[in-house]
Amino acid sequence: MLREYDNDAKALIMLSCLQSYNARKKAYESTDKPSKLYKDYADADKIIKECEKRGIGILTILDKEYPEKLANIYDPPYVIYFKGNLSLINRPRKIAVVGTRKMTVYGKNILANFIPKFVESGLVIVSGLARGVDSVGHRLCLDLGGDTIAVVANGLDICYPPENLSLEEEIVSRGLVISEYPLGSKSLQYHFPERNRIISALSDGVFIPEAGEKSGSLITADYALEQGRELFVVPGSIFSTASKGCNAKIRELQATCVLTPEDVTDALGVYSQDSPARYVQLNLEQQSVMELLKDGSKHFYDLIVGAGMSTGQLSSILTELEIMGLIRKIQGNFYEIVPTL
Amino acid sequence: MLAKTRSYALSGIDGYEVLIEVDLNSGLPSYDTVGLADTAVKESKERVRSAIKNSLYPYPVRKITINLAPADVKKEGSQFDLAIALGILIASEAAECKDYKDYIVLGELSLDGSINHVKGVMPLIIAALQDGHKKFIIPSANAKEASFISGIEVYAFDKLNQVVDFLSGKSQVEPLKTSEFSGAKAENKYGVDFKEVKGQYVAKRALEIAVAGGHNVLMIGPPGAGKTMMAKCVPTIMPDMTFEEAIEVTKIHSVAGILDNSVGIVATRPFRTPHHTATVPALMGGGSNARPGEISLAHNGVLFLDEMPEYQRRTLETLRQPLEDGMAVVSRAKQTLEYPARFMLVASMNPCPCGNLGSSTQQCKCTPGEIHRYISKLSGPLLDRIDLQIEVDAVSYEDFRSTIPDEDSATIKARVEKARAIQRERYKGTKTKTNDEMTNAQLKKYCALDAEGEKLLKNAFTRLNLTARATSRVLKVARTIADLEGDEKILAKHVAEAVQYRSLDRKYWD
Repeated sequence: MLREYDNDAKALIMLSCLQSYNARKKAYESTDKPSKLYKDYADADKIIKECEKRGIGILTILDKEYPEKLANIYDPPYVIYFKGNLSLINRPRKIAVVGTRKMTVYGKNILANFIPKFVESGLVIVSGLARGVDSVGHRLCLDLGGDTIAVVANGLDICYPPENLSLEEEIVSRGLVISEYPLGSKSLQYHFPERNRIISALSDGVFIPEAGEKSGSLITADYALEQGRELFVVPGSIFSTASKGCNAKIRELQATCVLTPEDVTDALGVYSQDSPARYVQLNLEQQSVMELLKDGSKHFYDLIVGAGMSTGQLSSILTELEIMGLIRKIQGNFYEIVPTL
Repeated sequence: MLAKTRSYALSGIDGYEVLIEVDLNSGLPSYDTVGLADTAVKESKERVRSAIKNSLYPYPVRKITINLAPADVKKEGSQFDLAIALGILIASEAAECKDYKDYIVLGELSLDGSINHVKGVMPLIIAALQDGHKKFIIPSANAKEASFISGIEVYAFDKLNQVVDFLSGKSQVEPLKTSEFSGAKAENKYGVDFKEVKGQYVAKRALEIAVAGGHNVLMIGPPGAGKTMMAKCVPTIMPDMTFEEAIEVTKIHSVAGILDNSVGIVATRPFRTPHHTATVPALMGGGSNARPGEISLAHNGVLFLDEMPEYQRRTLETLRQPLEDGMAVVSRAKQTLEYPARFMLVASMNPCPCGNLGSSTQQCKCTPGEIHRYISKLSGPLLDRIDLQIEVDAVSYEDFRSTIPDEDSATIKARVEKARAIQRERYKGTKTKTNDEMTNAQLKKYCALDAEGEKLLKNAFTRLNLTARATSRVLKVARTIADLEGDEKILAKHVAEAVQYRSLDRKYWD
């Protein structure tokens, strides 16, 4: 990964340490060659050395690997710090999966049904490693063996949120983590909207399963529209606070309302072979439990009464069905059939 | 003249002999206690003098020196009063006592000459018996607890002059009659019963399994779901204590001074609920006047930690070592004390700080960060010691109009005892008593799975995201479930059920 940096690159690296984007932009646009900006590149050398020590690569807007899609937006990052497999950044088909940090079961169900289809179609999942939709999106994608890019809002020596450290490490080893902020930058409040422009810029479309009224993902949605990306939202219940943002986008006719994963893949022009439907053989007891769960979630007591089994017997049948992926336990000893499209 | 009387002092829950030497010298009247006596022992000076005076004996106007041997060990407590008073009376020849050297004398004096109750009589007598002493003089208030030890002569008294009269042969006193343990057992009352807990089949079943295999349990549920009530019922389904177990518990409770003197023995399994503000010494034992902590008071019983994440993390972490080896070791600069602490841990917690996460009726107001901080108070190594983690929910029984009758504790207890008998047979001749204590070698030997079970376990891990450390836990619980059903082999269905009791490994906390 070791590479030589010319003075232009070094100047851009030093530029990336400026606090505000406007200052960076002003300096960048003030000259035709960035190397004219600085006389002494000791600071850049220091940063490069530190990055190499940590296995962090640096990509500048002048490099040929710099994705065209990103370069073409109004305010591209001049430098990208990255860890992992850089080739993903130039893969042709990418979809951003973003949404609320406080996801409901509905959101989880959506992701569980949509992400496998995205991965099958060869889409790269781009997201922000935040809590909620972002992390679940990354996680599902990795579990299915898909490719994923995390765009974070802090220096690559920091992990935010901290509980996603292991997830981030996994993405580094099997995908790509990028950031426009130099080492040591904390995830400041204004970094998040800035970061969102990169998420949407890298992608062909932005997919929002769930977003509240003031969700940060709506900023990504606005960027998507501004940058000419497709915006896909899934409608939710009008009573659900976690779907208010999505529903509003539909009402304002700004987004494509999607009901199946195919609505997204067709719009992006990617196709996958239809995987044959899975059939499983259930025994009588399993069938009777499935029958009971057919019309909505049921509490453990209801199942005991309905199936006429002992606590132990029912528990083991529920585990078997859970393992088959047919049902799942939800909070408070309730069980439900996993919804599928 | 010099007089020597014998008494015993506590060290942890064991005792050691203290020889009390009283010497009267000529010189200005004074009273000195030597031999590292703490405040309570030094203060005996005033109690002894008044007690002797008020019992109408002459108090020697001499230079009195009292030595407590061994002189290099710190002595605590008030149980030397009576032995010191006797020593003074004998040394000053105010009383003519014979054979007093055969007796171990325990008792605190009151100013009017009556003998007060002291702490730790049972452990002191047991220690003295092991040292070969057979005759004891103790306060009447402690008579009951001493009466459960056979093979000794115990004389209980109320007043100092009664002791003097007895030792000088002026009066005859009969030694205490030995009490039967079964008598105390008949008074066994917990005041709660599982049949009063309506519904909650999952939790009840899990608690039954936990008791049967000696596993620790964590109950997760919103406030008001009945976690405390169920925890209180746990001792009612535990097998009755054997006499040896009861003695172990009584020793600890006697040392702590919380023994019921009218019963004299702890025949019911202890149930301890330390508050979440409890400090490390309160839980582990120790302090300046060494005292067993809550975990030792729960020995052979249940330690219930309500709202577990509310405890200080440091306090919780100290539980790890006792959970492993059943001993609370308190190390101080001067001494190291060991208190037995083999208890069943029953803990409860809310799913989140506000308690409403996942509730169908209430909105949870916690941020993901708050929830994460709350859950992470319980460290992995601690959770590793808790085999069963179950969800308890606040669904009212009436909502379900269940037709299943609620079992009473006696029925459940019978099943538990059967499973315990199987385990006793299996682990005969080893240190292991229950499935929970299985060593790795035993785990391999007794928890072998057939192909079907192996497949199910493997699938459970990949499909349900169980963590690797859960394997041995699941296997141990599966072993207990098989024991409850009387199956020699662990079958797939047992593993499947055991997986249901690993709530914390799965679910919302990802």
